[in-house]
This record gives sequence, C-alpha cells and structure tokens, in this order.
Amino acid sequence: MRKPTIGVFKFTSCDGCQLSLLNLEEELVDLLEFFSIAYFREALDAPLRKQFDIGVVEGSISNNRQRDEIVDIRERSRFLMTIGACATAGGLQALRNWSNIGEMKRQVYPMPESVEALAISTPVSEHVYVDYELWGCPINKDALAETLISFLVGKKPGIPVYSLCMDCKMKGVPCILVSQGEPCLGPVTRTGCGVLCPSFARPCYGCFGPREGANIQALMEYFQKMGLDNRETTLLLDKMNTFAYRKARIEKAD
Amino acid sequence: MKKLIKSEYLARVEGEGGFVIEIKDGKVAKINLRIFEAPRLFESFLRGRSYSDVVDFTARICGICPVAYQMSSVHAIEQVFGIVVPQPVRDLRRLMYCGEWIESHSLHIFLLHGPDFFGLESAWADKQYLEIAKKGLMFKKLGNEILSIIGGRPVHPVSVRVGGFYRTPERKNLLAMLPSLEAAYAESLGFIRWAAELPFSGNEWDMEFVSLSHKDEYPMNEGSVLSNKGLNLPVGRFLEEIQEYQVGYSTALHSGLRRNGILTPFIVGPLARFNLNHSMLPQEISQKLVECSLKLPLRETQKAIIARTVELSYAFHESIRLIKNYEKPDRPSVRFDACAGTGAWATEAPRGLLFHRYELDGQGNVNNCSIIPPTVQNLSHMEQDIHHFIEDHPGRSADFLRKETEKLIRGYDPCISCSVHVVIR
Repeated sequence: MRKPTIGVFKFTSCDGCQLSLLNLEEELVDLLEFFSIAYFREALDAPLRKQFDIGVVEGSISNNRQRDEIVDIRERSRFLMTIGACATAGGLQALRNWSNIGEMKRQVYPMPESVEALAISTPVSEHVYVDYELWGCPINKDALAETLISFLVGKKPGIPVYSLCMDCKMKGVPCILVSQGEPCLGPVTRTGCGVLCPSFARPCYGCFGPREGANIQALMEYFQKMGLDNRETTLLLDKMNTFAYRKARIEKAD
Repeated sequence: MKKLIKSEYLARVEGEGGFVIEIKDGKVAKINLRIFEAPRLFESFLRGRSYSDVVDFTARICGICPVAYQMSSVHAIEQVFGIVVPQPVRDLRRLMYCGEWIESHSLHIFLLHGPDFFGLESAWADKQYLEIAKKGLMFKKLGNEILSIIGGRPVHPVSVRVGGFYRTPERKNLLAMLPSLEAAYAESLGFIRWAAELPFSGNEWDMEFVSLSHKDEYPMNEGSVLSNKGLNLPVGRFLEEIQEYQVGYSTALHSGLRRNGILTPFIVGPLARFNLNHSMLPQEISQKLVECSLKLPLRETQKAIIARTVELSYAFHESIRLIKNYEKPDRPSVRFDACAGTGAWATEAPRGLLFHRYELDGQGNVNNCSIIPPTVQNLSHMEQDIHHFIEDHPGRSADFLRKETEKLIRGYDPCISCSVHVVIR
C-alpha cells in the first residue's frame, strides 16, 4: 500500500512549528515508516508535486505572493492542516493589523517601497478551507504526531479544546490568577502547552490562542477590577494570537 | 559568453531565499542572494511594548535559536536597568545556551549540511547516512531536554525574564541528565574527525572573522568584539563599526565593516568563533584537533562543519561541568526598578554574533530598538565567497556551479527568518 505523502509549507513565520516535526526525533524516524515526506524545503531538496495527501502549513499570509500560493497549496492537498499561531491566528506579526503598514515599513527599511507587505497578516483560514488546525506558539509536537497518526487510521485526533485551567487543576499547579493575583489568560486560552507558564510561576500569556466559546470580555472586565486599564488589558491579548483573541472578544460580546 | 545560474528556493536552509548569478566570459557579473522571506517588522511592533514583552516576543524571531534572542534582549535590558545577575543565574543562562548550541548544531551538521558531502537530497535518503542522522537526532534531543528542564520547552522557552528566571530547576532534574550527556559527549568527539575528513573543495581565501571574545571562557553570553584584522572593541561601539544597507533584490539588509570609506564583508558564526577562540577549548577537545592534524585557522567556509562538531562537543563538555556545579539559587531573579536609558549587548547565537540595542522610556517601554542577526552580517560575505568559488572554477557547467553554490550557502547555516529583522539607525 502506498504511503501517504506529506508536503510541509512555510509562509510568514519563524520556522518553530516546522521544527516541531524534526523535534519528534526518533518518533520522526518511526513516522517515516508510515508516511513519505515528499516536500519539506527545510530538510529536503525535492520538487513540488501535483498532489499531496496531507499539506502541513506553517505561517500567516502577509503578502500578495503568499495569497496566491496558499490557494495553490490548497488545490494540491487532499487534507490541509495548519500548524501554529501564525497559520491559525495570523501570528505576532498580525500586530501590524492595528497599526499603519507604511509607517512600520519606514521604521525598518531604508527603501520601504521596494519591500512588499500587506497591511494585514491573516490566518490561512481567511483564504482557504482548512481541514484541521493545531494551535500554539509553537505547537505541541505530540499533538502533531497524534494528528498524523489519526489521519493514518481514520479517526478524529484526540486534541483537547478546553481551557488551560482544567490542566492546571489536573497537574496540581496553584492558580496564578487567584494565588498570585496576576492577570492570567488561562481561563480563555486553549490548553495544549502542558501547563508551562503556571508551572514556572508566571501567568499564561496566551500562546495557544482562545479556546472556543471563551468569554474574553468578562475576563477583561475582571482584570479591570484588579486595577488594569483598557489599554493594559488589550495589551495582554495583543501577542502571538492577537487577531484571534480580538476577533473572539468581539464575536462573543453580549 | 554569458551563463546564468539560478536557484529559485534553497533547500536545507532555514527560511526562504534563492539566488541569481550572471557570469560573463568567466567573470562574475552579478550575484544576487534573493531573500524573499516575508518581513514581520518586529522592530516596529516592539515600539511601545514593555521590557517583559520584549523577551517573549523576540524569541519568535527564530524557532531554531529563540534562546539567543532571549539572551541578547535580556542582557541589553539589564544593562539599561543597571542589573547584574548573580553567578548561579549567569551559569544557568550559559547552560541554556549550551542546550541551544547542541540542538541547533546537531540539526545543521547532521540534517542540513551533512547530506551535501554525500550527494544526498536529505538525511533520510540513504540507509547508511540515516544511521549518522539518527545520532544527530539523539544529540539534538539532549539539547532540547536541557532547554525543556530550564525553560519549559525548547522552542520559545518561558522561564527567561529580566533579572533572571521566573523559576529555576531542581538540581536533581539536571543531575539526571548526566549519564546521557557524558555518553553523548564521548560520541561527539568522534565526529570531529568525521567532519575533518569530509571532502572539501579548497575554496580558501583571506577572510575577516568576527566574534565575541572573553578572557575566561569560550564566548557565549558575554565578551568584546574581536576580529583577526584588528577589531577589538566593546559591543556598545560595534554599531559604529558596521553599516547596514538595503539591496533592492532582498528583504534582508546587508552589512559591511567600514574600512577607509569602503564597506567590506566579514563572517560571523562557528568558523569565526572557533578560529578566534580555540585556545579556550578544554584539553580533551584540543587534543582531538591535534590528532586530526587540522591546519588552523580554518579558511574555507564549508569547514564550518568542523567548527560546529567541535562546538557541539564543547557544549556537551560545558553542560556537564555546569550541571555538576549547579546549586539552585535562593531567588530565581533579582529585584529591580525599570528606568529610562539605552542598552546594547551581543551574544553568540549558534550562527554567530547577535546584536540587540534598546532605547527604553521611564516605564521600561521600548522607544526604539535595533536587532542585527548573524545571517544579516554574513550575506555580503556569502556573495563574495560565491564570487571566489565561481572564478576559481572556470568552464564548469551551470548545474555544477548551482549545486556548489547551494552547498556553499548551506555552510553558513543561514537563518533567513531571522535575517529580515534589522532596523536602520
């Protein structure tokens, strides 16, 4: 039986999520028994082919070339999955969406006119239909392995979508919000990191993005009661998943 | 007679780039390293953000070397606030950097660059080479484990903060790594000879090597900037010596050293670092170099693979030493007050000198910042290196020249995602 083919594609990103595939280390070698990695520019010199069974996409869409390319990748992929905050939420670079791109380019480049960049950085899902999303900055590499294996056996990936709070409780980590009185995004953030920041005695800063159905506005109002002003609460959301948190906040507003 | 050499999209490098080379009658008429990686404009969106956000944000410049960004940014900010961290914190940061050097160098030596010397399209294309690649993955895993223990995860660690760490590891968790680290160290020494005996093309020429240098140690988090051609200055004055400029065909800026009004290329990274600091290596590793009859300095950029295997062994050796001496500090971080000021620092990322400069306001928010990654510093040197190679091989086919140019570029271990982040002064 033919091994399913994987194509790994990069858009606007830091490469950290693609690296998660290589960070599977010996599990990667095991996965290679069941999959053929047909396209992966970072590790392999192979040409683009007409069809891939699984397209794995990292990175947000932030220029015109990428807008065309993602449509092409969608057409070549039977199943398209996005990995990481850039691809699922537009990434940290989506901070440009709330600013002026011309001004930003001028601050970085001596000749800004020669650099092409869209005024907004958007997730892949704003451009094409996405079959599966893995959130995180970076993603959890075990979640990637789980998703690929699930594809192989035809089952739904066992990726939890509840808030970080549940996993803090299960791990026995004291609640940062309650015990330290610091603004923690845990209640509105998707779990998956393995309870990192609270284990390091710091509040969650939302690298896994908003969980579905999160009541972000309510949490912001709670932070305001703690003494933060509107600007400070917005800054808490304006990180790796800024576009997704802001969107979720507006959509859920009563 | 005109020849065109083109590579649309380089493989086995980090990030997106390609090249176009025009040769006229055996002479190189044009070399354009086309970096088309999409810019994310970090230096712009960092403005107005707090110093604590800087540490978390700059990590996202690179997935392979986030610790380098966290180290450079945290030290530059600590300089503004007048913070000097205690020795145990300094040692823990050095251990973290060892973890990153191990992870990054293993990836490059065995998965990205190594295959070139065997004519392979990937590390898993050949069953024999795969056994070597598996060793590389095993080394990489240990580097990642060090980062996970200290930082929570290897990509974008969460424990680094201005003043120290949010939390420091328990001694027993680090000690538990010793047996694997000692075994890996012993095995890594053998790869120094493996690298020294690889087939090199002999593209040697007179280069300027630039790296940090420190009187007590092989440089990582601290030092002054040194070169083999007379540079010796504190990091703060480094900006005065180099100039970034924009070329129309690249989203990354180029750099050069100002020498008598001319901008001259220079090279940073393991080759430069090793050439300038090998006297700082432990006896056991220096002995291996003697056994390989290595002629120093290494003057061919492809030989950086040798420097990387040496640094891989060094990072194992150093992590073992630091773990054995580790005592959990009383406090994970020092108390401080934010204040206005400008701080500039450089640390040695796996790929070379990584320079950060921040101008902060009274609350510690960023007014202005400047980040110069190692790959930006190497781009002009890469072009000159390619130029030398091509003119030394007249009459060769376009296909041969294209393949050799790709190999040459890979020897620099370019991190293209990082390279699109430079700000003008």
